[in-house]
Amino acid sequence: MGEILKKYKWMGPIIDAMDRDVKRLFMKNFRMRDKNFFPEGEYKADIKNLVNCMLCPNMCRFDCGTLQAEQKETMSPAYKARIGYYLTIGKIDPSKEENKAFIDLMYKCSNEESCKIWCPFEFSVVSLLETVRDDLNDKGLMPDYCKEQIDKLKKTNTIEDHNIYETYKEKGIENIETDGNDEVYYYIGCESMKFPEVVKANIELLKKAGVRFSTNLETKVCCGGPAFNIRDLETAKDFANRNKDLIEKTGANVVVSDCPGCVVTLTSRYQKAGIEIGTKVIHIVEYIKQLIDEGKLKFEKNVSDEFSKITIHDPCLIARNLNDTTSIRAILNKIPGLEISEPMYNKDSVHCCGWSGTAHWADRSLAIKEAKNRVNELKETGSNVFLSACPLCELGLAYGLSEGDKENIKIIDIAELLIKAL
Amino acid sequence: MNIENFELIYKDSRVIIKDKPKIKLRLGEIVGNENVSDNEIDILAYNKDTTLITLNWTLEGKIAALPDFIVWPETPEQISSILKLANEEKIPVIPFSEGSGVVGGAIPIYGGIILDMKKFNKILEINDKDLTVTVEAGTNGMNLERYLNAKGYTGGHIPQSLYTSSVGGWIAHRAAGQFSSKYGKTEDMVMGMELVLPKGDVIKFKTIARASTGPQLDKLFIGNEGTLGIVTKATLKIWPYPEKRAFISYAFPTFEDSLEATRQILRQQIYPAVIRIYDADETYRHFGHIEKAKDSVMVVFVCEGIERLVDLEATITRETCEKNNGIECGEEPVEHWFETRFRVTETSSTPTFKMVADTIEIGFLWDKAAEMYHSVVEAAKNVKGVIMITAHVSHFYPNGVGFYFTFAGIPPQEKSDFQFYQEVWNTIVKAVEDAGGSFGHHHGVGINRSKWMPVEWGKAFDTLKAIKNLLDPNNILNPGKIYESPWEKGGEN
Ligand SMILES: Cc1cc2nc3c(=O)[nH]c(=O)nc-3n(C[C@H](O)[C@H](O)[C@H](O)COP(=O)(O)OP(=O)(O)OC[C@H]3O[C@@H](n4cnc5c(N)ncnc54)[C@H](O)[C@@H]3O)c2cc1C
Repeated sequence: MGEILKKYKWMGPIIDAMDRDVKRLFMKNFRMRDKNFFPEGEYKADIKNLVNCMLCPNMCRFDCGTLQAEQKETMSPAYKARIGYYLTIGKIDPSKEENKAFIDLMYKCSNEESCKIWCPFEFSVVSLLETVRDDLNDKGLMPDYCKEQIDKLKKTNTIEDHNIYETYKEKGIENIETDGNDEVYYYIGCESMKFPEVVKANIELLKKAGVRFSTNLETKVCCGGPAFNIRDLETAKDFANRNKDLIEKTGANVVVSDCPGCVVTLTSRYQKAGIEIGTKVIHIVEYIKQLIDEGKLKFEKNVSDEFSKITIHDPCLIARNLNDTTSIRAILNKIPGLEISEPMYNKDSVHCCGWSGTAHWADRSLAIKEAKNRVNELKETGSNVFLSACPLCELGLAYGLSEGDKENIKIIDIAELLIKAL
Repeated sequence: MNIENFELIYKDSRVIIKDKPKIKLRLGEIVGNENVSDNEIDILAYNKDTTLITLNWTLEGKIAALPDFIVWPETPEQISSILKLANEEKIPVIPFSEGSGVVGGAIPIYGGIILDMKKFNKILEINDKDLTVTVEAGTNGMNLERYLNAKGYTGGHIPQSLYTSSVGGWIAHRAAGQFSSKYGKTEDMVMGMELVLPKGDVIKFKTIARASTGPQLDKLFIGNEGTLGIVTKATLKIWPYPEKRAFISYAFPTFEDSLEATRQILRQQIYPAVIRIYDADETYRHFGHIEKAKDSVMVVFVCEGIERLVDLEATITRETCEKNNGIECGEEPVEHWFETRFRVTETSSTPTFKMVADTIEIGFLWDKAAEMYHSVVEAAKNVKGVIMITAHVSHFYPNGVGFYFTFAGIPPQEKSDFQFYQEVWNTIVKAVEDAGGSFGHHHGVGINRSKWMPVEWGKAFDTLKAIKNLLDPNNILNPGKIYESPWEKGGEN
């Protein structure tokens, strides 16, 4: 209330000038505001900000990846908030089978958070949708595609229907178990296990720099990120606690992950869930930059022509969540003869690859359209090598390639390029 | 069915589509099944535009109107086929782009087919020598402007709704950006167009700097509000991105002084891109933190372009302000405006206090501009329930100005919010017409002002109606706007 009074100080003279009847109504509306529109109830939804968002003229719409992918009003941020509000106050009954599409809309967001840049209230739409998901979960209305993810997590400890970490041997990934005295815990994301060459490249880089590290693939489990997205906080916290133990056992000074989603989960998401990991957690690009600065890594060779002209796709989680757009560039600038081109939407205004958040579970074709949009933006640079530093981006972008693109375009992780220049 | 839980506002004269499955099938044949929907979730998304009263309704769980189908065409040929089908079946077709219109232009008041233009979103070509960009009409304004900026240009059209409006919407409403004193209004920017006419013919207006090839028919379609044709593509003017910007602000003792200073600036052929005069109430609201602006009228200017020209324009702007009792307030007020110009939060808060608010922009020649301002303020204050009526002057020409009024009020108990809303609108528009002004400067006619078309246009309105009838004999393209008034019975003070 104090906030409101301060913001509307300019209304003082207007209120003073009101005649009695109008003032009475005005004061009543002021007093009754919460009762009228933000009724008390058993919900966790951030109802006030849902209303702020739904009544806004959609000022972030041009930068909403899912709306730009779908080009339908239904996907617009303010509409998602409107449906969130109606589901919360029961205007649309979430428990009715016929309303499944409205529930699904609460998951059709790729977590890229570009909306937050433009939001006069400074929130992201996903932060509101997550609070609606909380209520849906409490009512037992978690969509099946989310349940599937949770089931997989519970069954295999990873995001796959088998324990993807157990595949390390067949993929030729070296596993280094901790002796409890590591300098670094190289924390491999479940998604990264789909890209064994990237994992191997990172291991090679760490070895080359003489880092004492472990990978602990025998006991490794998912960070719990998907459960945080789905807002199954019980499962999420279980994974957080298990990770906390595993990390602490390594004795490492720093946890270095190849997956920006893992870094964000292990840090801010755990923190919000009340679980604090004592060890510093950073993305591997930040760490490699440090190694270069300390003179422990040097890139002396030119990369082959095939890879000598690259364009950078900043992972949105690194650029906007971890606020680091310099490490990738600082590293690439050390590679002799490398030609770097920047897409128009880069750094902290990067557009998503489509594969973050829950959208790709809720609506795969939507995520693919978003990926295609991003591929087209990257293609505008004229470079045929798309470089990123996130397994989800590399996965998403690959879905965005047309058959023709697949023949010409390579999607690589920064580590893969770096080992070519060692 | 959820829709039944929502009170429908525009429920009269709705079209009855006898065989909906058949129409859906035929629409699907034209645009593909994935590009047609009659699902509740889509229908609900297109029940309204951004007319401010619809936000009160949204909060209260009411819906403005109910379309029967949404289609998302991708080619002019598809639009043509949809229009032919609509003519055969006598179904209204309502063009919709970004839905930021504020006069109800895209509200499907009689139901029918919403034709969403969003998939026309490609920027096709920049021609550096000609200084033009060719763009599909559904392209979002900000996505166009940042593309142009990245290539070293500006389109010069920066409405407050830049982030949330489209090229087609600008053309439809003859929109104006905040930088219009330098770059002009939409009608000054459109150089060529492709349109689909109501009966399905696709026509093109050649891109040309100036011509003498008979009547300027293209102008008929600029401001047609989706009633005479659907714009699919346009070629617009662009400009090299300004080399320099100068921020200037002055506080004036009276509103009249500020108008006089700005009039003299334009008379000298000095065109600051942005000029904004805030009346005393708006000065208090937006610049209350600026000591020198206390009890005054704030004016902000932005001069931009090549450095030497900007310096000259800035010098003459300053001199003219000082000659007219202006007190210099520095760059800070302009920076403040720059930072906050897209941060719209009021639309989210006023409905929660059951307040009814809106903005009404009007056009006036210089001669009686100040008098008109006072008479509108007086008239609006006399409407029971109005608690605020303020204005800024937002658009400037050597011959006249565009005023932007903001009103807010609490509907008295005996009136619904909609009745009160209509009463204030009608009162303000009447005061403007009585004073000799034009009832709209850049938001268009839509539903909100159609009642006043005969007054604004006089006998020429018959000609306009005859043209509408000729192009759209079945009245299928965006009915209920411009030519007829769903508010006919609405209150008038
Ligand atoms: C916060 C806010 C600030 C605003 N600031 C400004 C401002 O500074 N200046 C200004 O001029 N306006 C402003 N407006 C009003 C609005 O943005 C404009 O009227 C805009 O031009 C509408 O564009 P749109 O794409 O959103 O159109 P919509 O709302 O989708 O449609 C508007 C009208 O155009 C028709 N239409 C849409 N596309 C086409 C097409 N391709 N062919 C034919 N007809 C079509 C529709 O049928 C409808 O009648 C503002 C609105 C808001 C909410």
